[in-house]
Amino acid sequence: MERRSFLKGFGAAAACAIALPHVASAAEEKKSASPMAMNFETAVAAITGGKALTPSAKVKMEAPEIAENGAVVPVKVTVESPMSDKDYVKAIHILASKNGNVRCANIYLTPANGEAFFGTRIKLGGTQDVVAIAEMSDGTFLTAKQNVKVTIGGCG
Amino acid sequence: MKTLIKIKPKTYAAGDIVKIDFMAMHPMETGMRKNKDTGALIPAEYIDEVKFLFNDTLVTKMVIWESLSVNPLMSISFKVPGAGTLKVIAKDNKGQSVESTTQITPKG
Repeated sequence: MERRSFLKGFGAAAACAIALPHVASAAEEKKSASPMAMNFETAVAAITGGKALTPSAKVKMEAPEIAENGAVVPVKVTVESPMSDKDYVKAIHILASKNGNVRCANIYLTPANGEAFFGTRIKLGGTQDVVAIAEMSDGTFLTAKQNVKVTIGGCG
Repeated sequence: MKTLIKIKPKTYAAGDIVKIDFMAMHPMETGMRKNKDTGALIPAEYIDEVKFLFNDTLVTKMVIWESLSVNPLMSISFKVPGAGTLKVIAKDNKGQSVESTTQITPKG
């Protein structure tokens, strides 16, 4: 009996060993990055065109410090600005620094908004910084960030 | 694509700054998720452009990606210039597009 069960177990293990390489290669193929994938540096460069980012208290970001569910993380961004025809916030960009595709949303505002505000809910794959970049009408870029700890990732 | 536009607060006067919440029922697939039964990747499907227009004048344009949550919510501020029609056009990466309108009726 003992010998028989040993052989059975060995047979199963051998079958596993043969099957495993196939599984591994298939998984690797499917792990290929999403076509929209972009890393943080590239995304920031695409937004600013190489101009400097200035951390500023004028950009206020509201995001939870700890998000239990990474699939739904509320984010609100307000930028202090008179929103007049001459001095307004042209755009608010929201980036999740460690997602496969870091870009979440680009919001192009006009003075008709009356207030530079954007609120949404985003997915986060893990603990990371959520970054807001405000493009002002004078061509400067202000930024603010908030670290969000994610207990359960929101991807997959 | 079902959509919902909410103006907060419900009553407002001309010149007030209100919040416009726009919600769309959309799966927002990232293209990275697998079908649990077949193991095949579920193709990406996400809203990539949303436009807010007041009386056909562009107020806000958004370019968004798959990182927004399922059934995404987008909220902006809007200074009510007077009565008119607010139109929201949302388009996804598969070319599906939806147009929803609501009336802006300031009181007082």
